[in-house]
Amino acid sequence: MASPRVETDARPALVNKRVLLVGAAVTLPLIGLLLMSLGRDPHKVDSPLIGQKAPGFLLTPVGGGAPVSLESLRGRPVVLNFWATWCVPCYEEHPVLNQAARAMAGEAHFFGVIYEDEEAKVQGFLKKQGSAYPSLLDDTGKTAIAYGVYGVPETYFVSPEGVIVEKYVGPLTPNAITALVAKAKGR
Amino acid sequence: MNRGLAALALALLLAAGVSAQAPSLGVANARQVVGAPKGAALTGPALEAETKRVALLLRCPVCQGLSVFESPSSMALNMREQVRELVAAGFDEDQVLRYFERSYGEFVRLEPPLRGVNWLVWGAPVAGLLLGVLVVTWSLRRPRAGAAAETNAALEDDPALQAQLLRVRELAYGWPGGTKPEEPKP
Repeated sequence: MASPRVETDARPALVNKRVLLVGAAVTLPLIGLLLMSLGRDPHKVDSPLIGQKAPGFLLTPVGGGAPVSLESLRGRPVVLNFWATWCVPCYEEHPVLNQAARAMAGEAHFFGVIYEDEEAKVQGFLKKQGSAYPSLLDDTGKTAIAYGVYGVPETYFVSPEGVIVEKYVGPLTPNAITALVAKAKGR
Repeated sequence: MNRGLAALALALLLAAGVSAQAPSLGVANARQVVGAPKGAALTGPALEAETKRVALLLRCPVCQGLSVFESPSSMALNMREQVRELVAAGFDEDQVLRYFERSYGEFVRLEPPLRGVNWLVWGAPVAGLLLGVLVVTWSLRRPRAGAAAETNAALEDDPALQAQLLRVRELAYGWPGGTKPEEPKP
């Protein structure tokens, strides 16, 4: 007589150690990454341009006048603020930058660079809000591309020697401007 | 009147000549970053084809996974124009990509280059797939075959259990003696 053959399943254990180990190996590094990111400042973006020579530009000021080149600004830190009239945080930032430009006159150059906007709208904005520093037109968007701009407002702090020291994303605060201009000066 | 028109035409031609000779600031910046153009200057359909090919390799920074060629955003449009300008000046694909990479980082390349930690991006899916196949194959074969072999071995060693099982099969399936009858041969 042939021996009867059966197929049986062993009763599963409550915790499968192997699955637990594999799951932990996958999830623990992810949780670690999440915890590391929680401590990061969202305004600080690691731009590959930090520590590099700032890209040159030759841009015409809003309302006309002689084109401004970065090379002509050597000797003082340059605060280059990319902005637009359609950008709501830029409204919040504008008086802060005006105040800083007045307070630091003779200490640093302040320039706005218009990002994807129309000159007439910018002129209307500046007439209404006032401005203590010139804004430059970047019609082709090449200056924004050369600086790696993603959106507005974004501000670059350039040392007196023409090296990008910091990139600040979002509306600036008075303390941030003071600290970053000092950093650009090398203090 | 005719003299005036001729003078105007001459002035326009001279202006066009001067602007064509002087490199734009975009080209000058690119020269500083990636050196002199390595390729030949392009025009016409060759320029359009090369612009499209290179723009398809660049990520639009403000879009979700779209290339600079595909995106309708104004930033992508500006970047496309800059690609065209650089390609027209003779910069090759690697130089154009490196120029944009300097501003936006490696993120601007739609295909991460095979270097450093990027090997993981290319290798991890293949390794994951192979590992999955191995795990599935192993779990389908090993445990069930092992359990059945152990049970059959236990039955052969235990005549009482064997008798019980035969009885159950006889009752359940109606097999005489608990053994499956042989199929009648056609």
